[in-house]
Amino acid sequence: MTDLAQVPAGGPAGDTHQLPPSVAIKGVRAAYGRIEVLHGVDLVVPPGSVFALLGPNGAGKSTLLKVVSGRMRSTGGEVLIGDRPVGKTPTEKLVKSGLCAIPEGRGIFPNLTVRENLRIWTYRGGLTVKDVEDKTFDTFPRLKERRRQMAGTLSGGEQQMLAISRALVTEPQVLLLDELSMGLAPLIVAELYELVGTLASQGMTVLLVEQFVTTALAVATRAAIMVHGRIQQEGSPKAMADAAKQLYLA
Amino acid sequence: MPPVENPDGGTAVLTVSDVAVRFGGVSALSDASLSVGSGTVTGLIGPNGAGKTTLFNVISGLQTPDHGTVYLFDTDVTSMKPHRRARLGLARTFQRLEVFGTLSASENVQVGLESGVKWWDWHRLGRLLPNRRAAARSASTGDLLAGDPIASAASTDAVCERLLEGVGLEGLGGEQSAAMSTGLARMVELARALAIGPKLLLLDEPGSGLDEAESTALGDLLAKLAAGGMAVLLVEHDMELVMRICDHIYVLDFGDIIASGTPEEIRKNPAVQAAYLGEATVPEEVVATQHGEPDADPSEPAAEPDGGSGR
Amino acid sequence: MSNFLQYTIFGIMLGAGYAIAATGLVVTYTTSGVFNFAQGAVGMIAAFCYWELVSAHHVPVLLALVIILVIGAAVAGALVERVLMRRLHGASAERPVMVTLGLMVILTGAATLIWNPTTERSVDNMVSGQFRLVGINIQYQEVLIIGVALAVAFALRALFYSTRTGYALRAVVDDPELVAMSGVSPNRMSQYGWILGFMMAALAGVLLAPTQTTGIQIPAMTLLVVSGYAAAIVGRLKNISVTFAAAIGIGLAENYVINYVLPHLPENLVPDVTYALPMVFLFIALVTLPSVRLRAVGRLTTMRAPRVAGGKESLIAGGVFLALAVVAAIVFNNTDVKGTTLLTLGGMVMTLGIVGLSLVLLTGYSGQVSLCQFSFMGIGAFIMGKVAGGGSVLGLLAATAICAGVGALIALPTVRLRDLYLALATFAFADAVATGFFNDGHVFGVGGVTIGRILLPGLSLSGDRAEFLMVTVFFVLAAWMVLAIRRSLFGRRLVALNDSPAAYATVGLNIGFTKVAVFAIAAAMAGLAGALYGTVQGVVGTTDFDFFPGIIFVLFVTIWSIRTVSGAFLAAVSYVALNQIWPNGVGLFAGVGIILIGRAASGVLGIEPFQFPLPWVRRPTSPAVGPAGDLVAPSALIGGETSAAS
Repeated sequence: MTDLAQVPAGGPAGDTHQLPPSVAIKGVRAAYGRIEVLHGVDLVVPPGSVFALLGPNGAGKSTLLKVVSGRMRSTGGEVLIGDRPVGKTPTEKLVKSGLCAIPEGRGIFPNLTVRENLRIWTYRGGLTVKDVEDKTFDTFPRLKERRRQMAGTLSGGEQQMLAISRALVTEPQVLLLDELSMGLAPLIVAELYELVGTLASQGMTVLLVEQFVTTALAVATRAAIMVHGRIQQEGSPKAMADAAKQLYLA
Repeated sequence: MPPVENPDGGTAVLTVSDVAVRFGGVSALSDASLSVGSGTVTGLIGPNGAGKTTLFNVISGLQTPDHGTVYLFDTDVTSMKPHRRARLGLARTFQRLEVFGTLSASENVQVGLESGVKWWDWHRLGRLLPNRRAAARSASTGDLLAGDPIASAASTDAVCERLLEGVGLEGLGGEQSAAMSTGLARMVELARALAIGPKLLLLDEPGSGLDEAESTALGDLLAKLAAGGMAVLLVEHDMELVMRICDHIYVLDFGDIIASGTPEEIRKNPAVQAAYLGEATVPEEVVATQHGEPDADPSEPAAEPDGGSGR
Repeated sequence: MSNFLQYTIFGIMLGAGYAIAATGLVVTYTTSGVFNFAQGAVGMIAAFCYWELVSAHHVPVLLALVIILVIGAAVAGALVERVLMRRLHGASAERPVMVTLGLMVILTGAATLIWNPTTERSVDNMVSGQFRLVGINIQYQEVLIIGVALAVAFALRALFYSTRTGYALRAVVDDPELVAMSGVSPNRMSQYGWILGFMMAALAGVLLAPTQTTGIQIPAMTLLVVSGYAAAIVGRLKNISVTFAAAIGIGLAENYVINYVLPHLPENLVPDVTYALPMVFLFIALVTLPSVRLRAVGRLTTMRAPRVAGGKESLIAGGVFLALAVVAAIVFNNTDVKGTTLLTLGGMVMTLGIVGLSLVLLTGYSGQVSLCQFSFMGIGAFIMGKVAGGGSVLGLLAATAICAGVGALIALPTVRLRDLYLALATFAFADAVATGFFNDGHVFGVGGVTIGRILLPGLSLSGDRAEFLMVTVFFVLAAWMVLAIRRSLFGRRLVALNDSPAAYATVGLNIGFTKVAVFAIAAAMAGLAGALYGTVQGVVGTTDFDFFPGIIFVLFVTIWSIRTVSGAFLAAVSYVALNQIWPNGVGLFAGVGIILIGRAASGVLGIEPFQFPLPWVRRPTSPAVGPAGDLVAPSALIGGETSAAS
């Protein structure tokens, strides 16, 4: 049986002395079939920042995250993580060199138990089962109680805890979060974002898409609003907060 | 459960009572109840993942609820197949587009128009053949949209053309719908839904992908449809549109209706503000007083049974 | 009692063999989402390689097993995933079915060329000898098979439930993208799935080879695991334990039926029932499946739809086609090719063309796959031969009507399921009809059935030219009908159903009814084609409507283009021509062709250089991309009177 875990991770994961890489998005276009949804997106996420991407549904935010994480090919422009172009690199290679993407919905395998899910996280080099379990269960004791349960039978909040534990244990340099709050109670959302704040302070570049403006901007160091497949405005969280309120509650 | 009286006093076209849906351990809907009256536009708003699309699926028959009932007029449709519900006058659009991609825009509408025709029904088929019978009588589009289009004397082509015009797609009938932009394809779906002559129209984010002018025109169209007696249930993130055209609004948050009322009441409601902007501090008494359901338990801030308290 | 035990042991052994093959299918399906129709063919090749190595060249058994299983099957599985299947991600659902069928016909075609089918090849038991236990003789081979099956089952369980690779293998089916996001290549996991699937297919083939008392035969070995399909379906194509148990159950049931039920049946029915058993099990398994839930998936059809010829256009084209046929009938009268007159071959092309048209309607428009159109053809020809002495117009009508009914019966249990299950049901039906029904002495038997030319009052169709022109008229009418259906409300419904089942239901249309209706129409067309084929040939027999030719023909239609009338015609031409030139190589052509076509849904005719624009046809203009069309103001809606009149 090939053991992918033996391959060492590409970057100095978890090394806080070195600045994590920036994410530069230059003129990115993307399309589903013949329908273009990103019409040239320019965005620079500075190293170590927490960047919140806001905007109405269907603006193309999730699509942009898919392009950055290699899950979708752009039809134009380029994405650089640090100084390396994402290009056609498959997602799993990006993950091994320090990217972590938590997708929209639930980033877990519903038909695997909690422990089996955690075990899969160990594919991201140099991790042992014990590391992964200890770290996850320390942060989320509820998951320890339910470690033998199928992940699909967990509550929504617990599922999202399990999903974000991947970011916790794999210590990526770049973290992409897509609608962490989806369908969750405010208290859990607050808890999850507290964790995002903690993770960010350990030195990683975070790009997050979020519908809850206030929540997102509380942890963000910079933000932008995306409308119709383009960046409409970019600025400090405070400036964006007012702009976003306009957008949501007219 | 018998249909309850609509808050606005009109006939209740749709009555949803205590509907709950769970996916594994995740509760998508917990005891959601609402009712939609004829001749009104009812808004259903709430953050992403609140369960709006699941509720639409329950109403249109794509999802069977774990418990609760759905009534269309006086008929219990809870376990009825989707196509039978459609024949009772229920039409919907989809948040993620479900156009018939291979077909042109006008063919999409035609499928809707002809949905009441049995394909072996040669008599009616003959009437539908293009050019067989010219548009002898030009009924007003309003009538066509509201009533059974087949019953009117106009040819399918003419009706089809009129419906496409009505949603702003004049001249685009020949385009393959898969190649249309999202905004236009949404309008194809809307025209197709209207083509079945619905009494209740469910619209899942029809405004996303539309620009400001288009969204204004969409609002006008929906208002007009409601004025013609149709019941419209609208899921939409464009608050301007929702506030402008809705007669009544329900707010869904993590699977539960947390508030309902007129646009004015909803706009002022701090619980809704909190739900939308994601502030964790929801004053419980507000939730309680604004609750549409007398039997809901206001002491439970989180709808998810075991997700509420964190660790 | 001792007999019962004996049958039980044998049944368990048979079931164990099925179980190995079936769990292999499940492993491949869960990791790659592809049902490998070539599973049986892989087992067949392994069995023949085993015979070649051990029986012909006296290689030690263990060495032979290592060569076949570890080197041969594993490498082949890895290659098939990499070269054939990986390209199909995101292709339409019917495509993996076609490609694995292509692989099946390549393997059987190649085997026919390598191992002359007339030679008898018996494979000895791997371990000889037997022992007595509670009064019955148990062969060591039986113990070996059961033991290996159990070992495989436990090994798989251990792999899937206690290794990290196993977790990833189980995870990849739910969410390949998330597997990639966890740092594992989902492609590699699928590749493991194919390797395991191929290894288990080969193992089953090698183990079951000695049970073939009359020696291993290519078709029989290839179809031996159809019973395994039923087991895999009971396990819902995902549960290995259930699949295993079901396979054992089916092995037992099969053996009990053969030993307890068959002796009470009339002698001539015995082989029929034996061959029909796997299909019966498969249908029972299909009925046990829960309905698939209708989902809104937000699918986008990005494929450019082939232009549909207008009514006038198709009439003109049909007229030109008929005129050309008349010219051909005059020029080529009495021209022979290898002892067959060219007009007879032309007649075969026309009748097969009608079968191709039935596939355009069924698969091209509505997206359902049928692998048993040749069975309907055969049934049609049989009815034609039996009604009013053959050659009566009544026969044509009866063939059409009865095939429509049979078609509806086949489609009924599968309409509530995913489309793959219809493909499976038709696969099993084609096998059962070819081996059980057609082979029966009372059906086609050895000599075949004689069918006369159509008798019409005052019109002689006895000459070759008249016959050719008659079937050509039928083909042209069928083509016109298919296009007319496509332009009609029913045609729009078929395409709509294929594009979005969820939307189809929510506009008030009944999915199940439409599926059964189109399947019945396609079956009726094939039945009519079969009856006509009979009048062209004069005598038809089992080999005309055999299982493999049926599959090969479907592949030819898919290669040319299953979405167009011309694709159906060209498929018939190439099928008939190749059968004249190199009968043994037809399968190879079809298999290689479908693999080369890969995911191109419109086939060869859909590839740009082959799309000849007809000068008088206005090409559809590309859609206006850019600022979306303005929504009209409500005033325009009210002022609708003027626009309707114009």
